[in-house]
Formats: sequence, C-alpha cells, structure tokens
Amino acid sequence: MFRLFCSSMPIALGLAFALMPVSAQRATGSAPTFQVDPLWPRPLANHWILGSVTGVAVDPQDHVWLVHRGMDSLTAKTEAGLATNPPTAESCCAPAPLVLEFDSAGGLINSWGGPGPGYEWPRTPAGITVDAKGNVWIAGIFPRPAVAQGPPPPPSDAHVLKFTRGGTFLLQIGQPGKIEGSFSKTTLNQPAGFAIDTAANEVYIADGIANRRVAVFDSETGAYKRHWGAYGRPTSEAPIGTYDPDKPPSNQFNVVSCVEIARDGLVYVCDRRNDRIHVFKKDGTFVKEAFVSRPTLGEGSVWDIAFSNDAQQRFLYVADGSNQKVWILRRDTLDVVSSVGAGGRWPGHFYGVGSIAVDSKGNLYTGETYEGKRLQKFIFKGLGAPAGDRQ
Amino acid sequence: MTRRHRFVGGSFLTALVVLGTTEWALNRSLVAQGTVVAPRFEVDPFWPRPLPNNWVLGETIGLGIDSQDHVWIVHRADRVDVVEGAADQKPPTASCCRKAPWVLEFDPAGNLVGHWGGPGSGYEWPISNHGIFVDYKDNVWIGGNNAKDSHILKFTKAGRFLMQFGRQGKSKGSNDTENFGRVAKIFVDPKENEAYVADGYGNKRVAVIDADSGKFKRYWGAYGNRPDDTDLGPYDPNAPPAQQFRTPVHCAELSNDGLVYVCDRPNDRIQVFRKDGTFVKEQFIAKRTLGDGSVWDIAFSKDPQQKYLYLADGKNEKIYVMDRESLQILTTFGDGGRQPGQFFAVHSIATDSRGNIFTTETYEGRRVQKFVYKGLAPVTKFDQGTVWPK
Repeated sequence: MFRLFCSSMPIALGLAFALMPVSAQRATGSAPTFQVDPLWPRPLANHWILGSVTGVAVDPQDHVWLVHRGMDSLTAKTEAGLATNPPTAESCCAPAPLVLEFDSAGGLINSWGGPGPGYEWPRTPAGITVDAKGNVWIAGIFPRPAVAQGPPPPPSDAHVLKFTRGGTFLLQIGQPGKIEGSFSKTTLNQPAGFAIDTAANEVYIADGIANRRVAVFDSETGAYKRHWGAYGRPTSEAPIGTYDPDKPPSNQFNVVSCVEIARDGLVYVCDRRNDRIHVFKKDGTFVKEAFVSRPTLGEGSVWDIAFSNDAQQRFLYVADGSNQKVWILRRDTLDVVSSVGAGGRWPGHFYGVGSIAVDSKGNLYTGETYEGKRLQKFIFKGLGAPAGDRQ
Repeated sequence: MTRRHRFVGGSFLTALVVLGTTEWALNRSLVAQGTVVAPRFEVDPFWPRPLPNNWVLGETIGLGIDSQDHVWIVHRADRVDVVEGAADQKPPTASCCRKAPWVLEFDPAGNLVGHWGGPGSGYEWPISNHGIFVDYKDNVWIGGNNAKDSHILKFTKAGRFLMQFGRQGKSKGSNDTENFGRVAKIFVDPKENEAYVADGYGNKRVAVIDADSGKFKRYWGAYGNRPDDTDLGPYDPNAPPAQQFRTPVHCAELSNDGLVYVCDRPNDRIQVFRKDGTFVKEQFIAKRTLGDGSVWDIAFSKDPQQKYLYLADGKNEKIYVMDRESLQILTTFGDGGRQPGQFFAVHSIATDSRGNIFTTETYEGRRVQKFVYKGLAPVTKFDQGTVWPK
C-alpha cells in the first residue's frame, strides 16, 4: 500500500557506491576519494571473531593493528558458542586475541593481549597506537559502574600500557581505580588514545572519557610533563551540563577521545561530545577550533582523527560513530569538504565507527565499536570532485 | 584468474558428463582426495545496493524469493535502538540512521524496488514479525513469534492486506485449530493451495491450512505424533531423541516431490514427512549444538529434482550443502564474523531461479547477503570457510 519505487531515489553508482558521501556541507575544491575493499582483511583463522573494535593503528611498516573488547563485548549465548563452558556450538565462534596485527595484504601475522605479570590489563582496552620505534600503546576506558548493592564492581580503567610490538610489557602509567582528578600528575581516568612525539620522547594522552584534558608524559619513564584543558585552560572539576548546540561553546572538554600530532607540530584533539576539534601547539597554547556536524547530540561527532599521507597533510579525517561516516576536512581551514560512509552492516557502511588510521599509501582503515565489530579498509583513489550530496 | 576459470570450467564440464554416467565412482574417488562434486558458491560483497534515506535494518528475520527473482526480506524495525536509530529520535541525535520499513523488496540487481509493512487497519501486525514467504499467486505471508503472536498475515505484493488467519493473543496450544502459536515460517503448496505453517515458537507442530480460507486441514508433531505441549526441558544430545519437536519449529519446506522438511531447531535435526504428516526419516546436524540449535532454515537447489538441500545454521554460522536424498552433508561454507560471506546468526535461506543462495541474519547480523552459484565443482568435503570471490 505504501509501495514506492526507489528508482527515482539517487543512489551512488558503480563500485564507488561505498563512498556514499553524504551532505558534504561546504563542498569546494578537490578532495581525497576512496573505495571500500570488501575483501580486506583476510578471514581470521580458528573461528575467531572480533568484539567491539576500540582502536586501530598503522605502524611504520604499514602493518595495521587493532584492539578490541573480545568476550567482554560478545554475547556468549548466541555469538561465542565455542568460548562457553561447556561449548554450546560445534564450530563457531570464539573471540580473537585482543591485539591483532595484520600485514598490508590483510593477513593476520601476530596476536597477543590480555593480563600478564607486571601490569594491569585494562578491562576495556582502547585507543591502540604504534609509535615510530614500533612500540604499542594501549589505553583503557572502562567506567566503574555505580552499584547500590552486591559485590563491588571492578575499578575504572585509569591507566595506559606500553608494549613491544611482540607484546612484551614495557611501561604502565596510572593504575586502575586510582583516580585523583584532572589536576593529577600521576593518575589518569579512562584514557582513550595517544600521540607520540618521538623526537621529544613525549606521549600525549587523550585523558579522556572522565578526565577532561590532554596530559603529556615522558614516553620512556612515564614522568609527568604537562596537561591542559579546552582552549588551553587549566583543567576544571566543575560539572559540565549536557551538550547543547545552541549554547555558547563549553570552556571544558566533554570526552577527550583522541589526540594526534601533525608533522607541522600542531596537536589535534577530539572533543567528542562537544562535536569539535581543538588545535594546540605542543605546549598547550590554543590555536583554533572547528565544529563538525554540530547538531549531533549523545556521544557526539568527533571520535577519532587521522591525517592524509601527503607531505603537507592537507586533509584531516574524522571518524564519526554517531553519524556513521568519516568526514574529510581541509586541515588548513578545518572545513568539511566531503565524507565517506553511511549506516549499515554491508561493506563500506558503519555502525559505531570510532577509530581511524592512514597508511603510507593514503589508504584509510576504520574500526567499528558497538555491534559494528570489524576492521575495514578504504583504498585511496586520488583527489577528485568532492562527493557532495549524492545520496 | 583466467587459467583458474578455465580449470573450473573444464572440471565443471567433466563433472557434468561423469555425473550423468558414473557419478558414484567419481564421488568415491574424490572423497578419497577429500573433495566432492557439489554446488559451489561465492559471496557477492556488493549485493544489495546501499539503502536510501539512511535506512538500516533491525533483526533480519525472514527471506523469500518471488517468481520474478525479487528478494523479499522482513526485519524488526523496532529493534533498531536509540544509538543506531539516532535520526529517528525526537529530536534527532545524529543524521544517521533511520529504521527501514518492515518489508523490503529488492530486484535481482539488488536495487530496493518496494517497501511497506507495519500496523494498519483490518489486521494485527505481529508484535515480533518472523518469516516471509511469497506464494505462487504472488501473495506475501508473514508470521510472528512474540508470545501473543498467534496469527498469520497475507498481503498482496504491494502490501494491501488480504487475510488474517488466527487472532493475536488467542493461542490455545498445539492442538488449537483456529489459532497458531508463534509462527516461524510459512510455505504454500501450489498444487493443493495449502499453506504449511512452521508453528512455531509456542506450538510444537506443523499445521496445514487452506491458503485461501485458512481452514485447518491437518497438523502433526515430531515423528507424526500428536503434538504435546509438555515442557521438554533443555536439549541433551546424549538423551534419546525427543518424541516431540522442541520449540521453535523453525521451518516447514515442501520439495517438488512432495516431501515436507521440518527444521526442529534446538533438537538439531531435520524431520521429513509426506504431505499427510506420515513420518519418513530424520537427520541430526551438528548434534552437540546446544542453545539455539543447528537447524534454522532450509532451501532446495533449483534443478527440477532439487538434488541438493541447503541448511542454514545460525549457531555454528555456516551453510551445509547436503544431498537431499541421503541427507548427508557434502560440504559446508561460511564462518562467524561481520565481513562479507560471514555470519552472525544466519537465520533464513532461499534460492532464486538461477540457483543463487540468499541469506539473512538476525540478532546483530542484520543484513541480507547473496552467494552466487558457480556451478557444480570439486570442493572440499570439509568446511570451505568464508567463500570470497576467486
């Protein structure tokens, strides 16, 4: 009765459908274009499946890394029948190890992760980053739930870990449950991501879901260096209200979910629930801000950031797990020039795209949390006309 | 690539010739090598086309293919939550996504060409819709598996309501001849104009009704027994086979030669009957599967003899390619995961006139996938895993 024919509904044509760029709001000039590679990575062995993917990184050899939540984010009864005791299925499935390393062809070449001696594995690992020396950083975002009765819940993740690429433990900053607020020089609170300044031996921590700051530590010793809040201000423990796009911009961050350093030394921060990017100098001096999909409520629009691979890093990619797309911005103006993706479970679609990284060829890799639970590759196809409002 | 195609093509020709004469001998020799000649499939990662309007699917709980090879799915739009359905919230919390209409029709190229569904006047839309079937008259049948869904709906392909059989909330159990008990799926026999009802999540029977009047004609339980609603408790693979179906009775599919194949899902078995309910045989599949069970849905190959039977197993996340006569598994494909050709809770299966397989996934799988039929070919008799294009 409400049968409609969709032939009149414009749908992106050709294999480039996966781009599905939608509502590029200020489409001007040329922009990077991409095509999803539906057959990357290769299928995992051992009937392994991914839980919610909470971090994606590319290392100096163009190997692609992810961290996921494993069993913690899988439904034992329906999804992980080989991981229950007794098993409820004969041939599928079990969670893959929590840290996975793929070569550029998409083959899984190493896997590790989980508790071990000398460190505390996060209850919800996230924000994997591989530094120029090949060391692997992992954050943790588990929030201790408020429970009125019963056994005490596990403590919040309030720490980060550094491993060799083979998974040997090197360094821990902070401790789970040890929370001293956003002025602390020794503790963190639900840190979500990293940037490493190798020349300066500094690690910038997006700290995080609960602390509303960028915190910088010595990347070898873990010694505190500096920290700052939105606009480079001192951090504050004052309560922040719910984000309202019609109100003046908040003087505090509202979920710091990423920090990335460009080659020219500018520091880009995801202020996720405030729908904005803040740009700083390395010393915390505020440079500028830009809003992305500013009407977005809830978890916000700016989840993770990566830069294009050209020498000038002319473009900046923003993973938006609320609007289910990757926004493409000019890095100089921070104007949105295009976007990639739409909601759904097919290749090139997203549910909870919260992590993004770029390899040396300019290809994009995305990780989906929630029930997206996958790693996808988008092949860089050169600069072209911005997609505009094709859908 | 070309060389490979030539090889497969050659093998295919050879296989056809030999199959006509000494299939048994060939298969015997191939089995010795760990291979068998069977239908081979490859996923099409670009089917269907992206949906318009930022639409996303809920649990994709039914699949049917009509006489024009259009692919019909029914999904649970109301299971798109506030995070994923952000654009449906008031006010919207993001620009994506919106729940798609309940019933979607795709053409063979994967374009969305029709959509409808949901509550309307004159009928009771299921609280939890389940299963879709397009009959030989091009009418569309839908069941429902909520505790109160004790009815079946019949629409035209355009979504105009035609008939409701049974009333919501009125089930009186497995021997009720007016209502159903949480129906999983329907199949209409074109020869007799009878609808076979997999009934269901509440009842433990196959029910057969007149497809026009809805009049009950017959029904039966496991082994053709009179159905009994006594609680069987959880499935135990070491116990003697249950003498009743264990809910849900998840499919009842009629082959061209008049056999009814029933998915006794948590009992991990197929039971085969004549049209009158006479028990013929049974076959266990992945018998140690607990919980949701292994036998979710069945489709037949498109040759006139329907030589092959395809079984979807949403617990072990694979498709079994079986010889229909012997009910022996020839090969399997698929695996768990969110990439093309992988599954989370592969729930429904159907074949089009070209022999392609289509699947839908419930829970958080939430998609329809196409597996392109590549002809008969030597394949491993074990598991093929994820079948990507070669």
